[in-house]
Amino acid sequence: MIIEFTCNGEMKRADVPADMRAIDLIRDVLGLTGTKEGCGRGECGACTILLDGKPVSSCLLYAPKLNGRKVQTIEGITEKDGKLSPIQEAFIEEGAVQCGFCTPGMILSSKALLEKNPYPSDEEIEEAISGNICRCTGYTKIIKAIKSVSDKMDMGN
Amino acid sequence: MRYLFPITIKEALEYVSSEKDSKFIAGGTDLINQISDGFITSQMLIDLSQIEKLKKIERTEEEFKIGAAVTLEDIASSKFLPQCLIQGAKSIGSPQIRNLGTIGGNICNASPCGDILTPIIVLGGKLVLISSYGKREISAEDFFIGPKKTIITGNEILTEIVFKKLFLSERNSSFRKIGKRNGQTISQVNVAIWVKKRGKDNEVEDIRVAVGSVAPIPLRLEKVEIFLKGRTIDQEILKDAMKVIDEQIKPISDVRASENYRRMVIGSLFQDAFKEIYK
Repeated sequence: MIIEFTCNGEMKRADVPADMRAIDLIRDVLGLTGTKEGCGRGECGACTILLDGKPVSSCLLYAPKLNGRKVQTIEGITEKDGKLSPIQEAFIEEGAVQCGFCTPGMILSSKALLEKNPYPSDEEIEEAISGNICRCTGYTKIIKAIKSVSDKMDMGN
Repeated sequence: MRYLFPITIKEALEYVSSEKDSKFIAGGTDLINQISDGFITSQMLIDLSQIEKLKKIERTEEEFKIGAAVTLEDIASSKFLPQCLIQGAKSIGSPQIRNLGTIGGNICNASPCGDILTPIIVLGGKLVLISSYGKREISAEDFFIGPKKTIITGNEILTEIVFKKLFLSERNSSFRKIGKRNGQTISQVNVAIWVKKRGKDNEVEDIRVAVGSVAPIPLRLEKVEIFLKGRTIDQEILKDAMKVIDEQIKPISDVRASENYRRMVIGSLFQDAFKEIYK
């Protein structure tokens, strides 16, 4: 089945089985391996992508669901010149990355939050990342990193 | 396998009658796992999520209606829907799940733990089912016949859930759930309550109560409703109500909780939900 969609701003076209999962299309066909498979059941968030700006589990989508939609993966959030996005910088700055496996999903969930709600409370941050499981960090530094992006935006006003 | 996107309900009905081994899909958050686990196979998936008519939330003079393909996130972030519905939707899964999963999917998946089911029941929701033979409307509480079993037939589509305006204007409802975790957890027990208050004191003019995960289906507790109707509520009455609840539920011990735990906790959840309405 032919699937056509925008991925990280570029038009992509793929001919894949109708029951190929979006995560496999993204990783194996497009070669974008930043999106990780943790559980394959939509319970860990490691496979989070942004679909029309909203975080979804790519292991729970069959490829046809991407047709005509806007997809953003972790590879797509760096700036055009390769510079890291403010969220990525903050994660590094705050030490919010250990093994890094949850990080792409965490960052995309954070990005979606800050775009909808630039000044979230701690509770709102926790809710926004409640679908992203981290086994390493205990979440504190992740939340701090997200908060710091928001604070920087606030100071900039 | 074929994956199709009908644009109209009519088209969807044509597809389903063209292939016996076909299944409807909307968000797919339950179905995809069931396929991965081998519980379900299908030669044709008919994706209903692009049918505009199924994605609307509408208010009329007499009613408000929610399209079956409205996502749980859209319900959770609503500014006007009844509180128990919002709370129920918000408690399901994670943001990633709620951005895909739909109210219709939670209904048709018919888990006795379904967190939007008990709110729909206490709000008197009517489910509209359409087939090529016509339309029928079923009360939500009559829709479920067993764990993951409903009265929907293979050629029917759940198109919308209709509620009387009363349940929007008398917006006294509450939903409580307990699971093993705070987030992304399946209910060990859940409770939904809708109340029509009378006067300034804690008097109940009308009440509807439904509970989840304590019976093979999400259960309306009519005996408790009869017990509480017309009463002025105090701690004693709530305690007595809990006894009535205990008689009506049939919890089992399973991977998520023991029967005893469920019996213990349901009373507290009920009181908690009640206190939110009668602050």
